[in-house]
Amino acid sequence: MLQVLVLGLMNGGIYAIFALGVVLVYRGTGVLTFAHGEIGTIALYFAYFLVAKVGLPWSIGALGAIALAALLGGAFEFLFVRRMVNADPVSTVVLTVGFGLFLLAAEFFFFGASPRNLEPPTKHYFFVIDNVVVRPWQVAALVLALVLGFGLQSALRRSDFGLGILAAAQDPAAVRLVGVPLSRVTLTVWSVGAGLSGLAALLVEPSVGVIAPGYASELFVIGLAAAVVGGLTSLPGAFVGGVVLGIAQSASSRYLGSFGVSGLQYIVVLTILLVVLLGRAYAPEVRRRLATPHAGAPSTTTAGAAA
Amino acid sequence: MTDTPLLEVHDITAGFGAVTVLHGVSFEVPRGSIAGIFGLNGAGKSVTMKCLAGVVPTRSGSVLFDGEDVTRMSPERRVARGMGHVPQGRQVFPDLTVEENLRLGAYTLRRRNRSRYQAALDGVFDRFPVLRDRRTQKAGTMSGGQQASLAVGRALINEPQLILVDEPSAGLSPVATLELDAVLQEVAKTGVTMVLVEQNIAFGLSLVDTAHLMQTGTVVHSGPVAELDDQTLATHLGIGRVLQAAAGSALAARQAPRPKEKARARRTA
Amino acid sequence: MSATATLTSPRAARRLPVPTLLIALVAAAVLPPLIGRTPILSDPNALLLCRACAFGIAAISLNILMGYAGQISLGQFAFVGIGSFATGIVTGVNDLRYPWLAGVAFAAAAGAALALLVGLPALRLRGLYLAVVTIGVAYAAWQWLFRFERIGGGSAGKVLPRPYFGTHVISGNADFLAISAVALVLIWWLDVNLVRSRFGRAFQAVKADEKVAASFGVDVARYKLLAFMLSGAVAGIGGAVYGTAFGTVTGDTFDYSQSLLLVVIVVIGGLGSRVGVVAAAFFAILLPVWLHLVNGPFTSLFHHGIDGIALMLNALLLMYTIARHPDGLAGAVSEAREKRARRRGGEPPLPPTRPNLPSLGRPSGMPEPRKLRPGTPVLDVRGVSVRFGGLQAVDNASIRVDRGTIVGLMGPNGAGKTTLFNAITGTLRPDTGHVELLGQDVSDLPAHARAALGVGRTFQLIGLVKGQSVYENLLIAQHLATPYGLASGLTRVGASRWYEREVRERADATLEGLGFQRYAGTPVGRLSHGQQRIVEIGCALVTSPELVMLDEPSAGMSPAAAEDLASTLRDIRDVLGRTVLLIEHNVPLVLDVTDELYVMDAGRVIADGEPTEVVQRPDVVTAYLGAAPAREGALA
Repeated sequence: MLQVLVLGLMNGGIYAIFALGVVLVYRGTGVLTFAHGEIGTIALYFAYFLVAKVGLPWSIGALGAIALAALLGGAFEFLFVRRMVNADPVSTVVLTVGFGLFLLAAEFFFFGASPRNLEPPTKHYFFVIDNVVVRPWQVAALVLALVLGFGLQSALRRSDFGLGILAAAQDPAAVRLVGVPLSRVTLTVWSVGAGLSGLAALLVEPSVGVIAPGYASELFVIGLAAAVVGGLTSLPGAFVGGVVLGIAQSASSRYLGSFGVSGLQYIVVLTILLVVLLGRAYAPEVRRRLATPHAGAPSTTTAGAAA
Repeated sequence: MTDTPLLEVHDITAGFGAVTVLHGVSFEVPRGSIAGIFGLNGAGKSVTMKCLAGVVPTRSGSVLFDGEDVTRMSPERRVARGMGHVPQGRQVFPDLTVEENLRLGAYTLRRRNRSRYQAALDGVFDRFPVLRDRRTQKAGTMSGGQQASLAVGRALINEPQLILVDEPSAGLSPVATLELDAVLQEVAKTGVTMVLVEQNIAFGLSLVDTAHLMQTGTVVHSGPVAELDDQTLATHLGIGRVLQAAAGSALAARQAPRPKEKARARRTA
Repeated sequence: MSATATLTSPRAARRLPVPTLLIALVAAAVLPPLIGRTPILSDPNALLLCRACAFGIAAISLNILMGYAGQISLGQFAFVGIGSFATGIVTGVNDLRYPWLAGVAFAAAAGAALALLVGLPALRLRGLYLAVVTIGVAYAAWQWLFRFERIGGGSAGKVLPRPYFGTHVISGNADFLAISAVALVLIWWLDVNLVRSRFGRAFQAVKADEKVAASFGVDVARYKLLAFMLSGAVAGIGGAVYGTAFGTVTGDTFDYSQSLLLVVIVVIGGLGSRVGVVAAAFFAILLPVWLHLVNGPFTSLFHHGIDGIALMLNALLLMYTIARHPDGLAGAVSEAREKRARRRGGEPPLPPTRPNLPSLGRPSGMPEPRKLRPGTPVLDVRGVSVRFGGLQAVDNASIRVDRGTIVGLMGPNGAGKTTLFNAITGTLRPDTGHVELLGQDVSDLPAHARAALGVGRTFQLIGLVKGQSVYENLLIAQHLATPYGLASGLTRVGASRWYEREVRERADATLEGLGFQRYAGTPVGRLSHGQQRIVEIGCALVTSPELVMLDEPSAGMSPAAAEDLASTLRDIRDVLGRTVLLIEHNVPLVLDVTDELYVMDAGRVIADGEPTEVVQRPDVVTAYLGAAPAREGALA
């Protein structure tokens, strides 16, 4: 039981950080991003390049990776997303898919298909809870997700610009009418959201051990699902969604086995996603059915008209 | 004070896709006056306001604000230049508190001169005490009339030269409309220049100095409210003889001079 | 969208003639083996072309879903993959050993079945959420479903033997290319027929606006599911070709990035453009080969990165395409062509605004309307209430519309007129109250079923498929008049020919009556607002419905056009003998044409009766102009 919980929390923290990036971008700009997984992956490759090839210390490499991720997110917003102001949201989704594929191709192009390895700085530190090996970065991910999920909103409230970001999520048109430069809001939001993806990728790498093209995407997709489960606009919801999916995964592999194949986690995620989405879609109808018992006879007080 | 009008609109056209909504709209708003734009559904009132705000691009023509051509300027920069907005449906930020809404309203003021903010905030609170009482309440949980006060306060706090008020009474209950009426009367007293779009013609006429009547995308009549007669109103609004009676009664209520006008007469003297 | 508009010609009897189909089939079957025996087409390149054909088929499948029906799928390779494995299960030497064609049929069935499962939630989820769910399906199929030994063949993969005739196995890649090409041609042909059938038209309507589709009698949920199943079936066939070409497939053959690449292909090619998406598929697959042909430092420098460069170029092309031309490259081409045409010929002259609506009678595909007892109203609305959250949009409203009259519905903005309209047509369910159409209680019927009873309607914001031509819209509007089956529609054999001829004749007659012949092929979105309104009214009348409901038809019209509208409305009543319910703001128009007038305010019907008398009532005048609240306050 504790084992399931610990494992779930460790994974859930990572999902939650991805989910936070998704929610931030969606809230601030109304765009659902599918590109942030690859942004994370390529940032990780960049860290590998800085540490393993250039020989910089891990911390510098990590900072460089996060900076590159933020830069990529910002550049993408500035060059492409900005032109899609009045576009159908689905077209914008496809645009982010295209950017993800572009980055995936770039990973192949610059680093090839063979996996790379980035040595984490704290390889030898770990502790054990109920037979689960817990490593510091996993705890860091969880704590970070917790802090961002519940603290980011109040941090944003402190500055005028941050307030503008929160307001833009509620009503982008009105934000312009009070004089907040909306384009700077969207640029910031994309950069920060992408930076979070870089961070999430860095934190999960030591557990996986190798970097391969598209590798963060699998985690990102679960993070995306977590964001949707958490309501897509709520930062605390993103954290909760991530943790719920993480625990559901570890619980399913513990109690359901794996049905003879790996990858059951995706079915679990998909099921939770569908249950939550359909539940939300049907909820108003169900509530209405419950609230208004069908009146048999219509009231006909004002019926009739000149014949 | 200079003699040039604060706002000059020269022959603007605008539309969406294949549909042209504005076919050349022109009018001027002198400093310290309140202009009203009236017309039936689809006459182009709201689109005109959105062109003034810079939210909808104009296809031709120009908008001069304080002598400066702002036709191609972004909405944000227009606000920094001294435009204020009470947008359609009020559009307060529902998840932010009253005070946060006001702080955002003062966004460009705080960038210009942060020290003036406190005084401006107090000024708004003095004018709308209900906002002071509810400063930490989420704006979305307030009543329609209170939200209207907040929307107006949010525009005023930035110390604008011109306020564009777009259908403030839309979707308000009759009680809230009364509250709003009081709020706008209050604002009119401050001597700020204002452009008002209002569906409720009787209500609108009671507030403004000059009426611009629109029909199918053009201004068909401009003139002081005092000179408007029911015939002109009915003809130019395109609603025919049916509404003459109602228009007449609205005008009758409007003919008596109000304290506001006396105040303005004193100010301009 | 505009790409398909140019493909579907007006006078639309134009169809792929059998000789063209035959020539294409023969060419597809004969050319590859012939060329394969020369040095021009190497064996690896022939395999690559097989892959391109399979991608072409997959692109057509995604185009059915996204381009026609407007449902996003980021997981199309789940269907392609299941098609491949299904084929392997049926034809494999260690499995059932059935002939290859049986495998293909099973692949189509498996693809359709999986797509149906995905389509079910899609009935309730749209846009972004559907995108998330479909990418989840792609992952789940790739990481879970295809990992089952029985399905994906485990780590060794599934073996798909090549087809054979008698004892001759088609082992050469050039020979199998012939089969791949024939499959592509056949799918192409079916897709052409699909677009020109009621099914393709219903998809277009669903994509444009579900409420509009329902007003034409399209059962939106059913057609969404049908789009998913057709798409899944075609994708499954693509998977059969794909897998058989390579001989062995594993789960990783169908990883999520393949699905994404397919989306890229379809968007670059242009949603809705068959030529575009197939061309883009070939381009995307063959691009790496062409890059290899570029000799010199470029290729040697990045020897391991050719596929990466190709994918990067594709992705860049996609991003450019979306940011610049939302219609895809095909859309960009047709846009440029149109611009050139417009510059040459200038704007075409306006048609007469006063249409002469033809009296068409009931289409043979629709049942005769029920005989009404004398005195039974065409429409009887009793005590309908609709609540949106805290807003009582319609409050116990009752309306009665007698046969052969024009009844007006007036009221200020937000009075609840359109909401009441929607409750009558079934677009939304009222909380309480009953709606009786032609003597039948329809309170529990969905919108498309009410349309089938004989209700035509127009929308405030023009209920037409804007990207399609005027002619095509007149066909879409006759969905109910074409009751033929899917098989007949896809093959153009049997009932579909007869019904299609009839609805085309009716469309022709309506075009002529409206005076819009020269605009037959013009996309509706390019017409002026007033012209669109005329076309919309034509569409609402083309199936001769008993009751026509018009929502603010004069909005955005010039005063002159509004006067013409008045005579059109009278024609509908007097010449065509139809009944009209009319929402209008234009008071002179309402007084001019209506026999009876209802006025709504704040959700309630506040007055009804003889129009000129009703508009004089003080409460009506107050509702319409608004009272001065200050004075009202003084009273309170």
